[in-house]
Amino acid sequence: MVQCPSCARSQQPRLVCSQCGAPLAVDLDFFAALDLPRVLQTDNATLEANYYDLGRRIHPDRFATAPSEIRDASLRATALLTRAYRTLRDPVSRGLYWLELHDHKLAEDNKQVPPDLAELVFEVQEELSELRALRQHSSDEARQGLLKLRSRRANLQGLLDELYAELFQNFAAFDAGGGRDREQLFAELKTILSKIAYLKSLVRDVDNELR
Amino acid sequence: MAYSSKVIDHYTNPRNVGSFPKNEANVGTGVVGAPECGDVMKLQLKINPENGIIEDARFKTFGCGSAIASSSYVTELVKGKRIEEAIAIKNTSIVKELNLPPVKIHCSVLAEDAIKAAIADWRKRREQASAVVEKKAEEA
Repeated sequence: MVQCPSCARSQQPRLVCSQCGAPLAVDLDFFAALDLPRVLQTDNATLEANYYDLGRRIHPDRFATAPSEIRDASLRATALLTRAYRTLRDPVSRGLYWLELHDHKLAEDNKQVPPDLAELVFEVQEELSELRALRQHSSDEARQGLLKLRSRRANLQGLLDELYAELFQNFAAFDAGGGRDREQLFAELKTILSKIAYLKSLVRDVDNELR
Repeated sequence: MAYSSKVIDHYTNPRNVGSFPKNEANVGTGVVGAPECGDVMKLQLKINPENGIIEDARFKTFGCGSAIASSSYVTELVKGKRIEEAIAIKNTSIVKELNLPPVKIHCSVLAEDAIKAAIADWRKRREQASAVVEKKAEEA
């Protein structure tokens, strides 16, 4: 329970006092900060609506002349709200936050790049370095290589889309609760998020070359 | 973030970059990754089976400057060392040499893991090879 410094009402911690609407300087997890249920299948419309609604109510401009304690609470609550929103609106950062929230570390026991993915990374990087060499002479071969890289890019996007689909399946399994072993779901989540990270970093290099 | 001059040196002028030919004997390959940032590092060590000394090393790293510098530095560091000495290399000595900032410490951990993975792979290959030899001897 926390006490509102404005009206002294004691209440469950939230970013806004349920009685007088003053901002509260409280430590909340990102789901609680946004007034969302602690589930992975976030409803984006509610996420957006709560973010804008809460943001308006605790906005520092509204408390510019308030006592310093309340002004400070408004700044802190706004900072927390913004971080929560940025983290939860993206499924990958939401998944990473989920691990953090449950004391699971992404990198722990997780240094092995899945062999097929490692092979893909080295293959595409090899193509990239060949293409860079060819482009110094702006030859026909370089044009060919560029075309090949474009189709490669589409291919990688397909893989990335598949991984996102796996991620959402994992989210759904978490939210369904029961049934499957949660530890197994955490391990699976770590694997999916790692694959996405390796693939995204490869896609970034490809996009740099296509630009 | 500013890179130290040693990181920049290794990054702009990486040592021992590349791979050994596919069927080169006595080579162990370690591929490790940092899932936080998506960096992938491949380290290959050529180890003399007679005396266990690392004779040569190659690396390919796709990632930030610190990851490239860490692996480049490691290839220089392990050459001439015995397996046991190489396994004992700690990431902290990489951090110290390259002056890595706290946010880049995981790059040095990656390089340390790559050494261990490459040596483990070399050992596995040797065991497999000797198993084949034994099997052939039995058959003969």
